[in-house]
Amino acid sequence: MALTFKGGIHPPENKNTENCPITVPTDPIYVRIPMSQHIGLPCIPTVKIGQTVAKGELIGENKNGLSAPVHASISGKVTKIESAVNANGRRDEYVVIENDFNHTVFETEGMKAERISEISTDEIIDAVYRAGIVGMGGATFPTHAKIRSAMGKADKLIVNCAECEPYLTANYRLLIEHSKEVIFGAKILMKAIGIKKGFIAIEDNKPNAIELLKKELKDDNLLSLKVLKTKYPQGDERQLIYALEKRELPAGKLPADLGYVVFNAETCSAVYHALSYGTPVTDRVVTVDGDCVENPGNLLVPIGTPFMDLINYCGGYSRTPDRLISGGPMMGAAQWDEYAPVIKGTAGVLALSRDTIHREIPNCIHCGKCVAACPMHLMPCYFAAYSKIGDYESCDTFGIRSCVECGSCTFVCLGNVPIIQHIRIAKGNLQQKK
Amino acid sequence: MALLRVSPSPHIKHEDSTRVIMADVLIALVPALVWSIYVFGFRALTVTVVSMAACVFLEAGFQYLMKKPVTVLDLSAAVTGVLLAFCLPVTIPLWMVLIGDFFAIIVVKQLFGGIGKNIVNPAISARIFLFVSYPSEMSAFTAPFSYVSPLSIVVDGSEIEAVASATPLSQLKNGIIPDEPVWELFVGNKAGCIGEISALLLLVGGIYLLVRRVISWQIPAAYILTVAAVTYFFPGSSQPIDFMLAELASGCLALGAFFMATDYVTSPATPNGRLIYGAGCGLLTVFIRYFGGYPEGVSFAILTMNLLVWYLDRYTKPVRFGGEPKKK
Repeated sequence: MALTFKGGIHPPENKNTENCPITVPTDPIYVRIPMSQHIGLPCIPTVKIGQTVAKGELIGENKNGLSAPVHASISGKVTKIESAVNANGRRDEYVVIENDFNHTVFETEGMKAERISEISTDEIIDAVYRAGIVGMGGATFPTHAKIRSAMGKADKLIVNCAECEPYLTANYRLLIEHSKEVIFGAKILMKAIGIKKGFIAIEDNKPNAIELLKKELKDDNLLSLKVLKTKYPQGDERQLIYALEKRELPAGKLPADLGYVVFNAETCSAVYHALSYGTPVTDRVVTVDGDCVENPGNLLVPIGTPFMDLINYCGGYSRTPDRLISGGPMMGAAQWDEYAPVIKGTAGVLALSRDTIHREIPNCIHCGKCVAACPMHLMPCYFAAYSKIGDYESCDTFGIRSCVECGSCTFVCLGNVPIIQHIRIAKGNLQQKK
Repeated sequence: MALLRVSPSPHIKHEDSTRVIMADVLIALVPALVWSIYVFGFRALTVTVVSMAACVFLEAGFQYLMKKPVTVLDLSAAVTGVLLAFCLPVTIPLWMVLIGDFFAIIVVKQLFGGIGKNIVNPAISARIFLFVSYPSEMSAFTAPFSYVSPLSIVVDGSEIEAVASATPLSQLKNGIIPDEPVWELFVGNKAGCIGEISALLLLVGGIYLLVRRVISWQIPAAYILTVAAVTYFFPGSSQPIDFMLAELASGCLALGAFFMATDYVTSPATPNGRLIYGAGCGLLTVFIRYFGGYPEGVSFAILTMNLLVWYLDRYTKPVRFGGEPKKK
């Protein structure tokens, strides 16, 4: 029986870019690097206007709490340090670097592969911190903190390669082209936490990657391959752990409380680079797709590259888009600025037309499709109904706090009710009351 | 520079909508209608079309007058119209059909707030309303293949070749198993309402809805199995199997179980709720057939269970992922 979970949906996969190799476009003229690309405190810029920086040089850090440092992603001159509103509506600080096209790289030192077998946990955590690694699947939780929180608790590591969002193939391409880096990175993380058993979890719609990983992991006694049924949101930590081990993560608990720790494939690759070459996170793979993009593809781009540069590199718009999405179509955020920068958690940039969504007059007909689709086994239709009339307490009784906002309910809704919008309003109100 | 829309996720949507579902229901009802035209003549079609058109017109008119968005394109009013027509006798005066449509669409549906807000099934309530108001017209059944003029507003009494014997259900009520073979009752070679004579073709439509995942299996399965179990273990005559089969072969059970009880708005949204709801409909149907004043219990059973939907939903709420949090 295929490994899976109860509930969920199967949207059209649209993995149009699965055969598009990762390409490196020409460097952007400038990058705009936000100081807050992670969960935690925003970084404080450590550079001044006019200063020349090399690729990989530290430009922002915050040592006062949970944070991850930020590095220059191209070589050039800092021309601006500005404050602006980002897609989430929060004010954020940006360091703008103008490219000098000298391609100077900040000197860093890696470790020999042999050294890694005897390296200490503290050294790994330090290297991961200095490289500014965060959860690159989109959650952007600082990885060094995750390692620390899992120590002594987790005894199984899961490499999340589910990539259950439609369109996105960045992780898949990374596995096809650099599977060794992902595996090696995962092993470094296992070493750091002291784990002897790990899984690479992948959905069954990626047969080529499964074939390749089977070969790579044939004689591996640390990592094994687990094939999951293709279903959204399989990539969610809770559904992932349930599919693999049939254990439900109680509300408010972390995977480490059950003995698991989950890392995204690209995060593992970043750990590999940080340890082997000492290079920080300055670039990432982004899937550029959508029905308004001329030539969709997978690009390896510097952090801070404007979305528009990515679109232009892919041949520009084939027709006027309705929405520009950062991330996948199910959970990604709609941008209002075509020049919004790529950050560490940007797995995709999608230009979608009006055709991808039907909006009619919303009317819940109580069909129960959302109840069947909810991976958290909630009743989203009642959240929407109660939230609409301002009865947030009843939303709470129906378990709204367990909602992960995966959007499955809204995707299947026959009555076109923007359920998730109602849920967010209710959650916001409940939070304020507390 | 493109003007971008900033909308909340998700940014894709399944193509199914209320309209698609309702269109499927209409498609599923076509076989039974065709059979009815064959058995009763074209007046069956007239009544159905008049009822459907009136429902759509009433809904659109009401929404227009109330300055609300007109939502007739979701086809739910059309479905109500067809379903109501299906449980009327073919000789019903057309003005009575209009009264039924008015009750269904205006009183039961729109006055409660329109689609999704009605607490009972509009077609079922209108049927009961007509049944209580015009008992003789509502139980004037013609024999099969005795055609009446298709376009008459009120059917002339001399035209009606009334059935000599009562309908199978009224026979069963008196503990008499009908003379016709069960197979013929099942196919629908009998007297009855427009859309309720052929259980077989309604079953075909029901299976279509199940395959298209418009309805889930819980309600029809629980409903029909409950009726089967009760009529088998507590039969109204000395031959339990024949009695049970004759009870099951009634078309109004098939119409009720697959099309009326499964109406989304007035049935539970949870799988367990649907099972209890279906079983409740089954029990009440048999109780009314056995002990009530009417030969038929489907309408009253569904109407009663409609009123319990909120409680069924509430008490069959699925256990949330990770378990319910401990009460403080």
